[in-house]
Amino acid sequence: MANPLRLPMAPRALRNLVSRPSTRRYPDEVRPRFEGARGTIEFDVETCNFCMLCMRRCPAAAIRVAREERIWSIEHLTCVGCNVCVEVCARKSLTMSRDSKPVHTRADVGPLGQRPGHEEWHGADPATAATPSLPAAAAVSQLPTAAPAPIAAAQAPSAAG
Amino acid sequence: MKRTVVPFGPQHPVLPEPLVLDLVLEDEKVVDAVPTIGYIHRGLEMMVERVEYSEMGFVAERICGICSFMHGMGYCVSLESIMNVEVPERARWLRVIWAEISRIQSHLLWLGLGADAFGFENLFMDCWRMREEILDIFEKTTGGRIIHSVNRIGGVKRDVSDSELAAILVKLEDLGRAFDRTAGVFANDPSIHHRLAGVGVLSATDARAVDAVGPMARASGVVMDTRLSGTSGYDQLDFEPVTETAGDCLARVVVRMREVRQSVDLVRQAIARMPKGEGLPLETRPRGNPAGETFTRLEQPRGEVLYYVKANGTKNLERFRARTPTFANIPAMIKLVKGCDLADVPNIILTIDPCISCTER
Repeated sequence: MANPLRLPMAPRALRNLVSRPSTRRYPDEVRPRFEGARGTIEFDVETCNFCMLCMRRCPAAAIRVAREERIWSIEHLTCVGCNVCVEVCARKSLTMSRDSKPVHTRADVGPLGQRPGHEEWHGADPATAATPSLPAAAAVSQLPTAAPAPIAAAQAPSAAG
Repeated sequence: MKRTVVPFGPQHPVLPEPLVLDLVLEDEKVVDAVPTIGYIHRGLEMMVERVEYSEMGFVAERICGICSFMHGMGYCVSLESIMNVEVPERARWLRVIWAEISRIQSHLLWLGLGADAFGFENLFMDCWRMREEILDIFEKTTGGRIIHSVNRIGGVKRDVSDSELAAILVKLEDLGRAFDRTAGVFANDPSIHHRLAGVGVLSATDARAVDAVGPMARASGVVMDTRLSGTSGYDQLDFEPVTETAGDCLARVVVRMREVRQSVDLVRQAIARMPKGEGLPLETRPRGNPAGETFTRLEQPRGEVLYYVKANGTKNLERFRARTPTFANIPAMIKLVKGCDLADVPNIILTIDPCISCTER
């Protein structure tokens, strides 16, 4: 590193003037996440039997399962993406998607003060599941505060969370 | 002479995390420094009461965002020693590889922050550009850039194929060569020498007296490296702890720069020694609940970390305690700050590589 000018950074600084930037033009150019990267938990209410194992094992307490009411919900902002729920699920109802959801904003806060990032699914009532006309699975963004909403109150599927 | 108290932190341009020092000044000289910690206490150790032992490793990993892999590994090694679980050989070597890569990542991050603290923005960007490539390796192999969640009691969750390991090694060796040029800047730039050489000198005797750990102690010439105790496969690797004798801020920078190269070499040795092939066992499932207590020591990028785990035969541990390297280095930092100029305080604080979120958990 014998540099007569004693400016060891100078050659690189000069090279940087003519070379391409190291960064991407981010919003226009996005690097896809690698295979196997942990992003967001995805849930399939059709196969879930509400065994509550995912809720018990979740280290962040992000998952809430109400077995009686057949409601499965997750707080995406609390979830730490450790993959434990996916590994313990015997029915393979949970999967880890590679991509993260976009940032949750204040605008996502529901009318009842639900946290942004809350997402819940209502499972079909086993007694009435045979009726095909009933909306068996609907992802809703509205969270009942205390008393769980009846199944019939499930709103039209919306881009929840 | 009249004394002035200058509060340093919790918000300060050089501090990545909230550390508070009340600096007592006489003119420009610091005569006393009173540290206060506790600004980012999160009560992670208390969470053993709620989180089952099998998942507590993911919480332990979140003690720190830089040495996260080692915290998760330390927790798992502790539980493995309580439950007498033998980790399969390939999993053990994978842990060594990830641990050394995370050391490179941590040191590059710190070198960048150090350059930023003494006003060398260009160098800061250069270090962080290299660190980004390491984070890509982590995302590819573990699924997470910062929080890897790949350790489990009894082994690791993911395998890395032999061809991918070879590609990682090539990438690391390229990175090592690129890093040599950056290291040359740290070693030869006159402005860096002006800020760091001879500043904050900790003698070997003092380093022992205040129980400094990690690069802080090694920069003062104390041969101290927990990896020498040979845990988790390090006994089969050929390495000498990096030591310097000057004990000043520049020596601490040089120790970390040399450790980056040493870690690349350790990854190379580990890949050469690990059993090759597809489908080798990666974990031994532990049976039952743990009962007993243990101490575990690991060499983190910042120095020796100590875990104490006490289990009582239930699903929840009774106690989980981590003594982090920054906590051990704070007395050394206070000793160095006393008697220095106010303008040198940021550099002295930064060269201990403080990780306050580790310290306060």
